[in-house]
Amino acid sequence: MRLPGVLRDRPSKQQLAVFAGYAIAAAVYVTVGVFYTDFLLSVFVGAAYLLLVAWLVPAGVRRLF
Amino acid sequence: MMSKWFVYGIHIGGWDLKASDPVQFHRGWPGVGFTHSLLYGVVIALLVWKFSGSKTWAVSFLIGQWAHAITDIGDTVGTMLFFPWTIHIHLGAWAYAGQTGRVTDAAAYFSGPGGIWDAVWIVYGIFSWRVLTRSYFETHVYTADQFWTKANRYASKTALLVFYRAAFFYGTSRWIAWTLWAHVVHHYPYDLSWGGPHWVHAAHSKSLSGPQYVGVAAIVAAIVAVAYASRLVLARREPGPDAVEPE
Repeated sequence: MRLPGVLRDRPSKQQLAVFAGYAIAAAVYVTVGVFYTDFLLSVFVGAAYLLLVAWLVPAGVRRLF
Repeated sequence: MMSKWFVYGIHIGGWDLKASDPVQFHRGWPGVGFTHSLLYGVVIALLVWKFSGSKTWAVSFLIGQWAHAITDIGDTVGTMLFFPWTIHIHLGAWAYAGQTGRVTDAAAYFSGPGGIWDAVWIVYGIFSWRVLTRSYFETHVYTADQFWTKANRYASKTALLVFYRAAFFYGTSRWIAWTLWAHVVHHYPYDLSWGGPHWVHAAHSKSLSGPQYVGVAAIVAAIVAVAYASRLVLARREPGPDAVEPE
């Protein structure tokens, strides 16, 4: 049986590595959110958090080292 | 988002700000229930188009607002979808519990069919994972809206890609977090039956009468007919692949 296109397409190793980074960021966000639910209320807080951990911090670290 | 704080109530200094009738305020008329109507979406989309000059932003707003208004007919109160006609269209699939406060409302929503409906969209997003890749963003999203090229003057493309991914990240992460909060930390019971969870005191709208059903059917039929006719007109205007240029 031939699988539908969405199931046949597999992400590359590089894409999986990027996904792993986001998954770690999500795990931290979820952990904080479960115990401090105000953290979950605003999409703006969510976007700011993601920009911080997925862009600003990595960019800063790259600049330092 | 703009009205929920007054539905749940907030405490500022010595002041408690909360609607005296949260359901009426949130979904009714008088109240701000008209913000969950199709007409409201059209009016605001036209204003967005006029003041931003962007048809993409206007259509995007319209799709988002209509998705919100139509999704909310799934609960036991529903929405005045065809405002200024003030009847509430409701399927009653999950309990509306906004009047119980933020905590109980969240617990109820993520314990009933509403939470499962959210999960359907998360799964759909996962199946469509390619739209979150860098190549899709650069090829289809970045080029479709001048916002991105303007924003690129101040922030790198990587930062913009992260911002683009934030919507799916936020929606998925908050669903997981609220579900864990409700069922691992607090042990609220699941009730996936129609109209559930039934352990919460849900608000309900009146059932529609026969003539109201007929009216709703007529409006839906008119919308479908107009959409179909528009499509036919557009198809006639656009030349087909075999069309010959007039000499």
